Amino acid sequence: MQAFIVRRLLALIPTLIFTSIIVFASIRLIPGDVIDLMLSQNDISTGNDRAMIEEALGLNEPIYIQYFQWIGAAVQGDLGRSLWQNTPVTEQLKETLPITFELGLLALIVALTVAIPIGIYSAMHQDTAGDYITRSFSLLMLAIPSFWLGTLVMVFPSVWWRWAPPLEYTPFLEDPIANLSHMIVPAIILGLGLSAVTMRMTRTMMLEVMRQDYIRTARAKGLGENLVVMRHALRNGLIPVVTLIGLQAPLLIGGAVILEQIFVVPGMGLLLLEAVFQRDYPIVTGVFLVVGVAILIINLLVDLTYGFLDPKVRQQ
Amino acid sequence: MSDITIPAPAQAPLIGGGRFAFTRRLIREKPLGAAGGAIFMLFLFCGVFADVLAPYGVNETDMFHRLEAPSLSFLMGTDHIGRDVFSRILYGAQLSMIVGFLAAGLATVVSIVLGIVSGYVGGKTDMLIQRFVDAWMTFPDLVLLIVVISIVGPGMTQIIVILGLLYGIAGSRIIRGQVVSVRENMYTHAAQSMGARTIYILWKHILPNVMPVVIILFTTRVGAVILAEAGLSFLGLGVPPPTPTWGAMLSGTGRTYMYLGPWLALAPGLCLTIVVYAINIYGDALRDLLDPRMRGSR
Amino acid sequence: MKRLMGIAVLAVLLSPNLAAVAKEPQYGSTLDVGTVNVTLSALSWDPADWAWKSTHDTGMVREQLFVGDLGKSVRNGGPYPFIADAYLPKGAIKGELAESWEWEDPLTLVVHLRKGVMFTELPGVMAARELVADDVVFTYELLSTSPKKIPTYFTHINDVVARDEHTVVFYFNEYNAEWDYRFGYGYYSGIVPRETANIDRKSWRNVVGTGPFTMGRYILGNRQTYEKNPGYWGTETIDGQEYALPFVDQLNYRIIKDEATQLTAIRTGQLDILEGIRWIAVDHLKETTPELKWNRWLSTGGTFMALRVDTKPLDDIRVRRALNLAVNQREIVDLYYGGHAQLMAYPQHPGFGEYFQPLEEMPESVQELFTYNPEKARALLVEAGYADGFEMEVQVCSCSPDNMDLVPLLDSYLAKVGVRLKIKPMEYASFLSAMTTRTHTPGYLMGSGHVNPTTSLRKSFVTAQTWNPSMYSDPVFDAKMEELYQTRDEARRIEMVRELTIKILDEAPYLWLPTGFTYTAWWPWVKNYGGELRVGAVRPGPIYARIWIDQEMKREMGFK
Repeated sequence: MQAFIVRRLLALIPTLIFTSIIVFASIRLIPGDVIDLMLSQNDISTGNDRAMIEEALGLNEPIYIQYFQWIGAAVQGDLGRSLWQNTPVTEQLKETLPITFELGLLALIVALTVAIPIGIYSAMHQDTAGDYITRSFSLLMLAIPSFWLGTLVMVFPSVWWRWAPPLEYTPFLEDPIANLSHMIVPAIILGLGLSAVTMRMTRTMMLEVMRQDYIRTARAKGLGENLVVMRHALRNGLIPVVTLIGLQAPLLIGGAVILEQIFVVPGMGLLLLEAVFQRDYPIVTGVFLVVGVAILIINLLVDLTYGFLDPKVRQQ
Repeated sequence: MSDITIPAPAQAPLIGGGRFAFTRRLIREKPLGAAGGAIFMLFLFCGVFADVLAPYGVNETDMFHRLEAPSLSFLMGTDHIGRDVFSRILYGAQLSMIVGFLAAGLATVVSIVLGIVSGYVGGKTDMLIQRFVDAWMTFPDLVLLIVVISIVGPGMTQIIVILGLLYGIAGSRIIRGQVVSVRENMYTHAAQSMGARTIYILWKHILPNVMPVVIILFTTRVGAVILAEAGLSFLGLGVPPPTPTWGAMLSGTGRTYMYLGPWLALAPGLCLTIVVYAINIYGDALRDLLDPRMRGSR
Repeated sequence: MKRLMGIAVLAVLLSPNLAAVAKEPQYGSTLDVGTVNVTLSALSWDPADWAWKSTHDTGMVREQLFVGDLGKSVRNGGPYPFIADAYLPKGAIKGELAESWEWEDPLTLVVHLRKGVMFTELPGVMAARELVADDVVFTYELLSTSPKKIPTYFTHINDVVARDEHTVVFYFNEYNAEWDYRFGYGYYSGIVPRETANIDRKSWRNVVGTGPFTMGRYILGNRQTYEKNPGYWGTETIDGQEYALPFVDQLNYRIIKDEATQLTAIRTGQLDILEGIRWIAVDHLKETTPELKWNRWLSTGGTFMALRVDTKPLDDIRVRRALNLAVNQREIVDLYYGGHAQLMAYPQHPGFGEYFQPLEEMPESVQELFTYNPEKARALLVEAGYADGFEMEVQVCSCSPDNMDLVPLLDSYLAKVGVRLKIKPMEYASFLSAMTTRTHTPGYLMGSGHVNPTTSLRKSFVTAQTWNPSMYSDPVFDAKMEELYQTRDEARRIEMVRELTIKILDEAPYLWLPTGFTYTAWWPWVKNYGGELRVGAVRPGPIYARIWIDQEMKREMGFK
């Protein structure tokens, strides 16, 4: 098992290099580079300012040299500085990453709290009214675009009751209540939207597993229904569900971009979107690298959980 | 569920008859799923015949009938520049279906090929493919979309291809997980030991076993693609106007004129929600019926 | 619905009661503002970056030589609304850091600095100390030697010298009509201390100045917080009584990208002021939140579709005029904007006073362009050899909902004369760089700021300027602009600006479109304020320093 983990960790390295090259190059391919944006700040300019700014920002070197400089520094934990604000990228990540992480975690908790019970319930009561109602609720939450649900929640309570979730960010450690009252609404919307996918996977796998031979055997052995569900069915049914949670990590960040915008959550999604629109290369590459590492680690954990949940894979 | 019983044919049904039998079974055992399917077919029908059904031109503006509430002459009202919302919804259905089907189809093919190859062949190939999938999945899809769309320009083809690849590669993980699980099952071992050809094993044992997952993936994807297009529209990267996609109608004028003309948001919002919901319910019902271990039982 | 009416009735009952007594100004509390730029985080904190938004984000910390005189605002019975984004009429200017100034000779300007003005402490960099002439010289040199500077911006200045501790002398090469704007109240005029020469100026923690506020905290994408500077020199006289500034303890610039969220924030009192509200939202906001106070202003940027005069068939003036005739601008004002727009308010802004000439006073040929006449448009196209019309690519920024809405409308107008638009929406950076790299399509739908009477003409119609999207180029026009800048006599300048504006309108390098109104709303507890937007170049800081919050009223209305 240990060798397996080490091997997987080592395998991360080529993946990271591959990813970083693609990101590094692609963000620079977008038309409208940062120099154009900086120049368009001013209403007068001539061609020769371009060279000066490029040099000042170190963008005049060939792209592969820029890459080596960047990766060389990145290995030492320096992701460069924002081209616009000159703040170190690591500092900005340190500020925004925990916020998005908190939002994602809250959303995941919401999603699982809703999804797994509904999934199990509807599998055990297949084709009853209860199955239809619970499942419909979950699927409806999936079917409503999050930006639309977010807008409705933002607008209508304020029109009817003059109430809206607070929009001023307070760090969790400064005031947990103020922090949560800001974060909880977007987290619920994000979580509900994600819950359907987990719910149906739980349900599908529960149905599948419950019909398999060893469950039949367990039943035949006279084990109580709940015990069968808990011990055998759930454990085996959860394998693909765990995969799915891994899959949802980038979805959480993607979905967070939209909700962070509506609910003014100063997280990484907002930072990333702003940086992409402003062509702030070091921030975009930095965010990618960090998100990439995080997601790779989550996937690694998923693979390990596989082994834990499924004895057949574990023995391999 | 249903009281209506139809006498079963004496002999094994022909393919056509089998299809009808399947539909009957769907209606009898899964009324909700059948309803979902029917709704979906209705939208599909509207999409296909949008040109015939639409009472007005899709971009026909009439500034003297702007922001009018639904009425007999404008079934879903008019928008801020006097276009008939009902006509635009019909064309929107067409676009959603095209984008949804093509992207989900592409995604499914990619998922199956990658998932089965990786999961069944295993070893080095599996390792390589999984590393590639890992790398791919570290791209938050939004940024990938922004990057690609900024380079090639916004448009339907781009969205179809990008979403197809994105979901396809990500989804291959699920198929692979399933394949690994099936491969370890005893009966495959048995077939292998009997010296069966790989293709035969894939076709006869693996594919039927991953089929439920494939169907779920496909139906989920159709809905997800329609939703993703809407999300892109919200961020200003969707199919360019004046093309009437539901996402653009909802996130653009729908949100702006939320108070002055609530129907502008209601119409595309409800259509989006209903279609995505119907597709999902239908997909779940199909899954229940197509499950190989359920075949013959009940 | 019932509940809603209940709130409304309650509010009506309460409000006369509240407004009855004129109270004495109060200190304390927090002011939360959604400024005109509520969607944009700060771009750069370094004055040497020449970022246009710098005065917006630091204008309450760093002060300038000149500032708008709020005592002469419309609210105080004066003539000036303080709406224009970067233009102060002569009479509206007063000294901020400058106590007085005079011309020693036609090319030598002497500025006497205010005494006793203190820079605040910047831990680790500098202790609090008095502003001296050397700081002004330092700032000028910092700006004029920056690689990012606008190359021709300071060519009129030969040298800036500190004559003594509180006297700065500007030696000019030539007269420039914009001298007071360029290094007085403009975008790049905030005075910083010498000590910032060798520190990291891009960090928000290092923003320092002499203003009413100090930098507090910056949370990207959420807010910029400014704290009261207790040692600030400035005062405000209200009802004959002099008060030290600022009144509030804390000023928050809130960053909110989403329009629906902005409206919710003002409605729920999370914002005290929201400066830029689109007309579409106004009626509903007034209905649901009747207590709000309002001001209406004509946007300080024009909307138009630039027509590249260096491409066929737009090089033909008849084609360009035909496009203008084919679009019913009047109908756009009445129906699309619901009357919340002015038919012609670009390139000159009605707020520019005499420089602006209303459409009715313009020659027939200009008025014609704003009159719907599809028959004549078709005839002109036939005359130009495009009887069957043509297809034209148009780029538009997906960042502007208004422009995105206008495009399909223009498309349907133009289709009626056989001109088909191929619409290409682009996101902000790609869109802008298409223009700066001159790769933009023949049609380019955009908005552009008025800035001030001369700049408005120069930046968009002088040969090879960055913000000249129609690629307009006329040596005669360029020469006239040159002459305009060197003209000292304002009456003569007004005459010239009017003449050049008519020429440009007439030649139709753009498809001219109406200019919309924007609205500012604030809660009644925001006192000593009347919807003024800027007292410099996008610089609202001094306005906020003069606002006080009626905290009892706020509490009585049910807000914390």
